[in-house]
Amino acid sequence: MLFLQRVVPLHTWILISTFKLSYNLLRRPDGTFNRDLNEYLDRNVTANAVPVDGMYSFDTVDRLTGLANRIYLPARDNEPQLGIVEVEKPLSTSEVVPVIVFFHGGSFVHSSASSAIYDTFCRRLVKTCKAAVVSVNYRRSPEHRYPCAYDDGLTALKWVNSRAWLRSGKENDLKVHIYLAGDSSGGNIAHHVALRAADEGVEVLGNILLHPLFGGEERTESEKRLDGKYFVRIQERDWYWRAYLPEGEDRDHPACNVFGPRSLSLEGLSFPKSLVVVAGLDLLQDWQIGYVEGLKKYGHDVKLLYLEKATIGFYFLPNNEHFESLMDEIKSFIQS
Amino acid sequence: MKREHTNHDNFSSSGSCSSSSKPPMWPCDADDELFAVLGYSVKPSDMADVAQKIEHLEQVMCSVENDGLSQLASDTTHYNPSDLSSWLESMISGLNPTPDFDSGVNRMVVDSDFGSDLTAIPGKAVYPNPRAKPPSPAKKLKLSPQETESSESIVMVDSQENGIKLVHSLMACAEAVQKENFKLAEALVKNIGFLAVSQAGAMRKVATYFAEALARRIYGLYPANPDSGFTDLLQMHFYETCPYLKFAHFSANQAILESFAGRDLVHVVDFSMKQGMQWPPLLQALALRPGGPPRFRLTAVGPPSTDNTDQLKEIGRKLGQLANSINVEFEYRGLVTNSLADLTAALVGRREGETVAVNSIFDLHPLLARPGAIDTVLRVVTEVKPEIFTVVEQEANHNGSVFSDRFTEALHYYSTLFDSLESCGGGSDEDRVMSEIYLGRQICNVVACEGADRVERHETLGQWRRRLGAAGFEAVHIGSNAHKQASVLLELFGGGDGYRVEEKHGCLMLGWHTRPLFATSAWRLAS
Repeated sequence: MLFLQRVVPLHTWILISTFKLSYNLLRRPDGTFNRDLNEYLDRNVTANAVPVDGMYSFDTVDRLTGLANRIYLPARDNEPQLGIVEVEKPLSTSEVVPVIVFFHGGSFVHSSASSAIYDTFCRRLVKTCKAAVVSVNYRRSPEHRYPCAYDDGLTALKWVNSRAWLRSGKENDLKVHIYLAGDSSGGNIAHHVALRAADEGVEVLGNILLHPLFGGEERTESEKRLDGKYFVRIQERDWYWRAYLPEGEDRDHPACNVFGPRSLSLEGLSFPKSLVVVAGLDLLQDWQIGYVEGLKKYGHDVKLLYLEKATIGFYFLPNNEHFESLMDEIKSFIQS
Repeated sequence: MKREHTNHDNFSSSGSCSSSSKPPMWPCDADDELFAVLGYSVKPSDMADVAQKIEHLEQVMCSVENDGLSQLASDTTHYNPSDLSSWLESMISGLNPTPDFDSGVNRMVVDSDFGSDLTAIPGKAVYPNPRAKPPSPAKKLKLSPQETESSESIVMVDSQENGIKLVHSLMACAEAVQKENFKLAEALVKNIGFLAVSQAGAMRKVATYFAEALARRIYGLYPANPDSGFTDLLQMHFYETCPYLKFAHFSANQAILESFAGRDLVHVVDFSMKQGMQWPPLLQALALRPGGPPRFRLTAVGPPSTDNTDQLKEIGRKLGQLANSINVEFEYRGLVTNSLADLTAALVGRREGETVAVNSIFDLHPLLARPGAIDTVLRVVTEVKPEIFTVVEQEANHNGSVFSDRFTEALHYYSTLFDSLESCGGGSDEDRVMSEIYLGRQICNVVACEGADRVERHETLGQWRRRLGAAGFEAVHIGSNAHKQASVLLELFGGGDGYRVEEKHGCLMLGWHTRPLFATSAWRLAS
């Protein structure tokens, strides 16, 4: 433990360990989940329509799921924005203001758009990328299994795409400039939503995946090497897949093993360019790097940002260089 | 800690309301900012300790059977997960089986921290000052009287998101007004209107009154000076609805009665005659006292009537009738004056051998609106040489020079008061509505008015103590008998166990839960 604390900043160690501890209490060996305790332990924050630090947020309810997605908008100068959203006015008629549709992590089970860690992260995204952010509350497992999260993600994407007030660009060329982003399970969701978006002709300009959740039946070298070393055990990963995938399925299901034996071809699809961020101390990195290779194989634009000494959740705290690298990369990815 | 991003300005210390008893006093004692933003309350000095506890827990958990872990988890009572140190502590002790573990108790997860899910409305502007506490849990409070200063503010708000948003919007608006950013204030006050209607009950009413008052201030539409007759009427309804005024009268009368012990010739000078409701009980008590009643004289001070009737005379007549019926020799005189400051000792009059009691219920604070008025009045009182001077005032500082501070104080005070109105059962519906209007006018005055028009200049007992001390008075202890009887009175009144009578430095305070709202004090000339 002491060694780990030297590699990982103390704040990060405490934070991620606290999550790990809590989550250990919540998962039951029989596959059920203590949802009530999870919701109670989750630290969440309300949206705030009063602009702070150049942005404000408000929640809107998704008709399909009944869950409240959270929207973060940059506050305009000289105009106090107070929860009164102009449904006609675009974000800008002079420049492009990207809209990031963000899927929070939590292995499909934990957290929500109102979790403090994610609210904070989304606010940082707004600031750094000068973007609007829509944080999606997708239905979570084990109560709602595959493909609920992807359905919800696609619904949210289409909703965002059709909002007049999320458009930007030049006066005669207004549209919603959408990027999909997500960490952990959110990254997995971003991929699958982008796939479906491609099928349905909804334009996504880019995918940003932060140590996305992928896996498979095989035990990769990184999984074996890092099992239990940096907050995560393979055993837990298995539990979450069992909770998400349809009952009776194994981890080679295409939701999980995207380029595995049951994968779908991405040939010729208008798939967005991707930025895949891999933490060097994440036991799932082999799967993530495999994902990057898979995309390349099908001729899709992908950039890998490999952060050697980073652990999972490094981006929840801004007190390290990994965080800064990440933000720089995301910013230039969106701006290019 | 070097600030990487200013986003952690967004959140103030979160979730520590039920674990710590007061906000941190020194910067180095404040919660770690990086954690605070993420919803956790950890002091920098505690971090190593927290890390150790986590390690300990991990080791313990490894040794527990897999099956047993989640069972044990739900058998622990989870208090305030934001306070990592104590949460971890409770887990550690939870995972060490105790003798009464088998009694099957405690399968519940106790949410004793209403505040934690409601923390972190971002923005410095929204928290008026770093000392402001987050809202504390409603209705879960101490039962014993406490010696704390009433500077601990408690906002009794609805725990819904909109409720919190509303409170913070109100405070942000006040701050905008303070900074003379009227454009922002205007926009905020409109929004408050929307948010207010989403609320129910006390919160809705309080917010509406404060919003209106703010709007008046912003737009310069100051309220007309209140008609004193109407105000008296409103106060009567307030008297019926809740026990505060009754308590005020009761406790003042107790003090007066005690000071009249063994005296045969007594004279009450009442600055706050209004409808004279305070005096029948005193007359009755005097009639019943062992040794028989004294000869009783009442000098009633009041403003000129707005209609053609002579209110003071009329009330005097009725009291005279009552006194007659219980065989108390009664003499009465009305003194009509626009302001107490126009009184002189000569006007009040004092006869040889008289024991004088001067009584003021909510009539001292308006004097603070004009320079010198309070000093004049206090001097006149000393010249009358009273045996006792009873003073009842609102226990709040609504006279601060900084608008936003005053606003926040008033918001807390009136929220509590409205909350108690909602809970107490007295009076008819009309009484209740009128009581709300009564309070609403006070709110309007505190928030929208300035200068000589702002008469609701409430000050705390501590502040009055200083003023009265400087004028030559010393405090008379209101007996514990009065305290006990006041408590009994409240029992009879109903409203559940929300009301609290506290004794502080010989004065009696009546409040709602832990918030004192009114203070009765008694004074005599210092020797």
